[in-house]
Amino acid sequence: MATYDPEVAVEELLRQLRQRLAALGSRRIAAVVLGALLLIFLSSTWFTVQPEETGIVQRFGAVHRTVSPGLHFKFPNGIERVRLVPTARVLKEEFGFGTAATGGGGRTQSAPDKKDFKNVSLMLTGDLNVIDVQWIVQYRIEDPVRYLFRVRESRQTIRDIAEAVMRRVVGNRLGSDVLTVGRVAVSTEVKEEMQKILGEYETGVRLVTVELQDVTPPDPVKPAFNEVNEARQDRERTINQAQEQANREIPKARGEATRTITEAEGYAVERINRANGEATRFRAVLGEYQRAPEVTRRRLYLEAMGSILPEAKALYIVDSDQKALLPWLRLESGEMPAAAGKGSGQAEGVTGGRQP
Amino acid sequence: MKNALNIGFGILVLAIVIVVSGTFYTLEEGEQAVIVQFGRPVGNPVTEAGLHVKLPLIQEARRFEKRLLIWDGDPNQIPTKGREFIWVDTTARWRIADAKKFLENVASEAGARSRLNDIIDSVVRDQVSGSELVELVRSASWEVPKGEILEEVPAEVREELTKRIARGREEITRTILAEARKVIPQYGIELVDVRIKRLDYVESVREKVYVRMISERKRIAAQFRSEGEGRSAEILGTMEKELRQIRSTAYRRVQEIRGKADAEATRVYGAAYNADPEFYAFSRTLEAYKEGQNKNSVVILTTDSDYFRYLKQAGTRPLPGAAAARPAR
Repeated sequence: MATYDPEVAVEELLRQLRQRLAALGSRRIAAVVLGALLLIFLSSTWFTVQPEETGIVQRFGAVHRTVSPGLHFKFPNGIERVRLVPTARVLKEEFGFGTAATGGGGRTQSAPDKKDFKNVSLMLTGDLNVIDVQWIVQYRIEDPVRYLFRVRESRQTIRDIAEAVMRRVVGNRLGSDVLTVGRVAVSTEVKEEMQKILGEYETGVRLVTVELQDVTPPDPVKPAFNEVNEARQDRERTINQAQEQANREIPKARGEATRTITEAEGYAVERINRANGEATRFRAVLGEYQRAPEVTRRRLYLEAMGSILPEAKALYIVDSDQKALLPWLRLESGEMPAAAGKGSGQAEGVTGGRQP
Repeated sequence: MKNALNIGFGILVLAIVIVVSGTFYTLEEGEQAVIVQFGRPVGNPVTEAGLHVKLPLIQEARRFEKRLLIWDGDPNQIPTKGREFIWVDTTARWRIADAKKFLENVASEAGARSRLNDIIDSVVRDQVSGSELVELVRSASWEVPKGEILEEVPAEVREELTKRIARGREEITRTILAEARKVIPQYGIELVDVRIKRLDYVESVREKVYVRMISERKRIAAQFRSEGEGRSAEILGTMEKELRQIRSTAYRRVQEIRGKADAEATRVYGAAYNADPEFYAFSRTLEAYKEGQNKNSVVILTTDSDYFRYLKQAGTRPLPGAAAARPAR
C-alpha cells in the first residue's frame, strides 16, 4: 500500500468481524456474551486487603463485616461491596505550609499558594499581636466504619477543627510564650482538645501527634525580633566583657598587693637585722677602741684612706706651701700632666699605705 | 405464532424486572431515605442501611445524608464592641436530624446551607459586635500574666493584658451555638457545633499592629542594651572600688611594716651609738667616705694631711695630737 487510510482499515476490520459472527450463529453469540458476563460477575467475588488496610464489606449498603489484611471472598457486586481504608497508615495534615509533592513547574503558583498558607498560619495571640504558626497533625483512622459513615468530608473536618483549636489555644497565650517556652504546652493542649472534639463528632480518628513547626513573628516584624535577640546578645556580651576585665584585674591586683607587703616584710627583716648587726659591730669595736682610743683612731683613719685611695681615678698630693696649683691641672682630662707639681700622679704608688 | 409467543415472554420478563427493581431499594450506610408517594412523604424516614421494600412505581425513595456535614461560612468583616473591624471565619457541623421535616422545609442540602448562612451569619455578627476583641481572642481560662513578662510591655498594653476576661472565646462560641440552635430545629436540621475558625485583623489594622509590634520590640531591644551597659558600668565600678581597696590596704600594710622596722632599727642604732656618740660620728664618717668613693673620684690631698704627713718629713717629730686628724673629716 502506498498510502495508509485509517478509515478504510477500520471498515475492513468491521466487515471481517461481521463475517465471522454470521459464521458463528446467534446461539453461539448468546453463549459467548453470557460467559463474559458471568466471568465479570465472578471476578468481583474475591479481593485482597493490603497489610496497612482494613476492608469494610457492605451487604446491600449496610455494613456487614470488617476484614483484616489477606485474601477474602464476598458475594458479587450488587450484593456486597468492599471499601478499603488505610487504618494502619499514619496520615498527615500540614498547616501553614505545604510539602512540595511534585517537583518543577510549580514555581509560578507558589505566590498565591503562599498567601493561602499565610491565611492559615497567621493568628492572633492573647496580647493581640500577630504570630505565624506552622504545624502538622498526624492521625490514624482508628474506627474505619465511623470514619466512612459518621462524618462526610472527614479530612476537611480535621483541618477545620485543627485551625479553630490552634487559634483558640494560641489566643489564650502571650505571643512571646508561644514563640519560646510554650511550644510543647501548645501542641499538647491542641492535641487533647482536638481529640475530644473529634470524639464528639464520632470521626473514628485517633490523633498521633500535633507538632508545631516554624513558629515565627510575621515577616514584616521579624527584623525587629532579631534586633531584640541581638540586643540580648549585646547585653550579655557587654556584661561579660566587664566581668572579664574585673576577673583579670582583681586577682592581679591582689597578687601585686601581696608582693608589696611581702617585700615590705623583707625590708623590715633586713632593716632590723642590719641595725642589730651594725649595733653589735659598733659595740664590739667601741669596746676595743676604749682600751686604746688614740692608736685605734689613727689606725681606722689610715685604713680607710688606704681603701679609698686605690679606688680613686686620680690622686693629687699638694704641698701645703704651694699656693697656686689648681690652674695647672686639667682635672677632667684624666691624663696626668707632665709637670704636675711635686705630686706622683699614680694611685698605684701609694698602695703601700695599706700597711701601717 | 412462535414469534408472538416470544414477544409475549419478553414483555413479561421486562414487567417483572421493572416491578422487582421498583420494589427493592438499598440504602447505603450513612444514608437515610424518605418514601414519597406522588410527591407526598409517607411514613417515618428510613434510617437503617440495607435492603428495603416499597411499593413499585407509585412510591419513590428520596435519599439524604445521615452523616455529619460541613457548613463553612464566608469570612465576614465585622466590627467588635471596640469598633475594630476584624475578619471572622466560622465553620459549623450539622446533620439532617429529621429527614421528613428537612424534605418539607428545605428540600436539599443547598437549601439547608443557605438557611444556615442566614442564621449563623446573623448570630455570629450579633455576638462579635457585642464582644471586645480580647474576649474573642482569649478564653475564659486566660491567666493574667505576672512579673517579668509585664516588664517587657508598655503601660497601656499592660492594662489590656491584665484585664480579666468576662466571657472568652469558648463562651462566645457556646452562645452562638445556643442562639443558632433556637431557630434551626424547625428545618429538621441538628446543629452540632459552631466554631470560629479564623479571626484576623483587616489589612489596614494589621499594618498598624505590625508597626506597634516593631516599636515594642525596638523598645525592648533598647532596654536590653542599656541594661547591659548599666550592668557593665556597675561591674567596672565595683572592680575599681575593689582595686583601690586592695591597693590601699596593701599600701597601708607596707607603711606599717616599714615604719615598725624603721622604728626598731632606730631604737637599736640609738641604743648602740649612744654609748659613744663621738666615736660613732668618727667611724661612721670614715664609712661614708668609703661608700661615697667611686672609680671616677679624683682625690686631692695636701701634704699636711695625716695620711701624707710622712711623705714630707719622716717621723722625726712626735705625732701631733688627735685634733690634727680632724680636718680630714
